[in-house]
Order: sequence, then structure tokens, then C-alpha cells
Amino acid sequence: MKLVVIGAHLERVDIEPVAEPLAVGDLWLSGMPVADDQPLGDRALLLRVAQTRASLLDRGTFIAIRYGFTAHASSDAMTKCAAHLDRWRRTLQECRGMVEMTLKVAAASPQARPDRHDFASGAAYFRALHDATQAASIDPLFREVVEKNLTPLAVKHRWSNRDNASLELALLVRAESVAAVNDAGAALKRDFASVPFLLSGPWPLEVFADDHE
Amino acid sequence: MSDENDELSLLETLDHLLDRGVVIAGEAVVSIGDVDLLYLGLNVVLANVDAIIRTSQPKRIK
Repeated sequence: MKLVVIGAHLERVDIEPVAEPLAVGDLWLSGMPVADDQPLGDRALLLRVAQTRASLLDRGTFIAIRYGFTAHASSDAMTKCAAHLDRWRRTLQECRGMVEMTLKVAAASPQARPDRHDFASGAAYFRALHDATQAASIDPLFREVVEKNLTPLAVKHRWSNRDNASLELALLVRAESVAAVNDAGAALKRDFASVPFLLSGPWPLEVFADDHE
Repeated sequence: MSDENDELSLLETLDHLLDRGVVIAGEAVVSIGDVDLLYLGLNVVLANVDAIIRTSQPKRIK
């Protein structure tokens, strides 16, 4: 059996019985046990992990581990995670009771996605992909209203260009502020019916999990 | 409309699962090792924005 790791937690009690706990030093990993030969690309497994991830967030703040990390035992996990533990502990202590919310906004002028066949090298293709991503921008008035009404509800916020067609605002908010963020999102929907956007969450610590580099 | 919102919600969930969170150095890519899954990740990101735009467009009344 192997464990498909879902997150890093401060307390074991935040994991059981929703998922399987695995000790890494004084922290805990949550995971889902699967057979060693279970392919990770299996759709049913992905959906089960996504569901468990959401249930774990109801129990307490945790750091999301990117899908694809598996461990067989505590010693195995400890070897792979040792370099992260101090930072994870600080993040989990400082962000206890907080979650992330995501505002994804379709670009006002989406850039064409470069076609790999048009480039002689992978490096040139990735440069073009990066340039197209960085050039995407959203309606400036929409952004201004978001900065005025949404970001003040967050402890931290961060804009990022995700791809050639969208920008994203990550918000670190206290769990009790989620309803206020959703209300602000509903007001945006009313006032900017022509701007395609999606407010989603709560999510575990994803964007703000690496703030203590 | 409900089906579209469900699709959007699923895409967003998969996008977060596959493309967010801490990467354990040298581990995620090795563990995934499954080209189909990497493609799924890319397709989810692209389909996600398409779905946001589609669900934001007003419905035409016949």
C-alpha cells in the first residue's frame, strides 16, 4: 500500500477519521491509502482525493501538497519532507483558522496561446508562453473595485498571471470572513455582468504555503 | 445552467488539486510519471477559463 498525500497538518486530530495520518517529525501528513500499482491518473481516485481534501478543510487549516506525492511510511515521508518542516510549522501556526479564496478573471484581451510547432526549440516556446501569460490583463475598473471591496477582507492577497487567458487573485482570509468574501463576489457579479470571473473556495493553504522561504 | 455550474466547480476543483500546493522537490513529476495526467492538468486549466466565459454569457431565449 502507498499513501497519496493530500496535506500537511499541525494536529493529528484534524486528519482522522477523514484520512490516514502519517507522522513527519512533530507534524502530520494526511493521505489516502491505495494499492501500490494504483495509477495516479485514475479519474475516480482524483475525485475521491478532491472530496477528501474538501472534508479535511472542514477540520482545520492545512497546507496543500500538490497531487502526485506518495509515501509508504513515516521514514519515507520524513526523508522527502525534512527540508520543509520548519517552514510548514511556522506557516501552520501563523495561518491557523485561515483559508484561501481564489478569484479567477478571464483576460480582457486574451493573448493567443503559442503553438509548439511554430518554435524550433522548447526554450523559445516556453519563453513565448511566458510572454503571452505576462501580457494578459483584465478590465482595469473591475480590478480597481476588487482592490477596494474584496482585498481589504483578506489578511494577504496576491495577483498572478496564470495563463494567456486569465489572471488570478489569491486571498488569504480568516475562515469566519468567507461569507463576507462571497457577498463581495455576489456584488461584483451584479455590477460587472460582462466580466467573466469565478470566485471559488475555501481552499487549503496553496499560494501562501510557501511564504516563509 | 446547473450542469454548467457543476462542470465549472469540478474543473476548478481539479485545477486546484493538480496545479496548486507545495511540490515536494523532485517528487511530483516522478510520482505522476503519467503523461496522460500531465495533459489532463493542462486541459483542465484551459477548459476552466472557457467554462468561466461560457457560464458568464447571458442565455438566449428561443
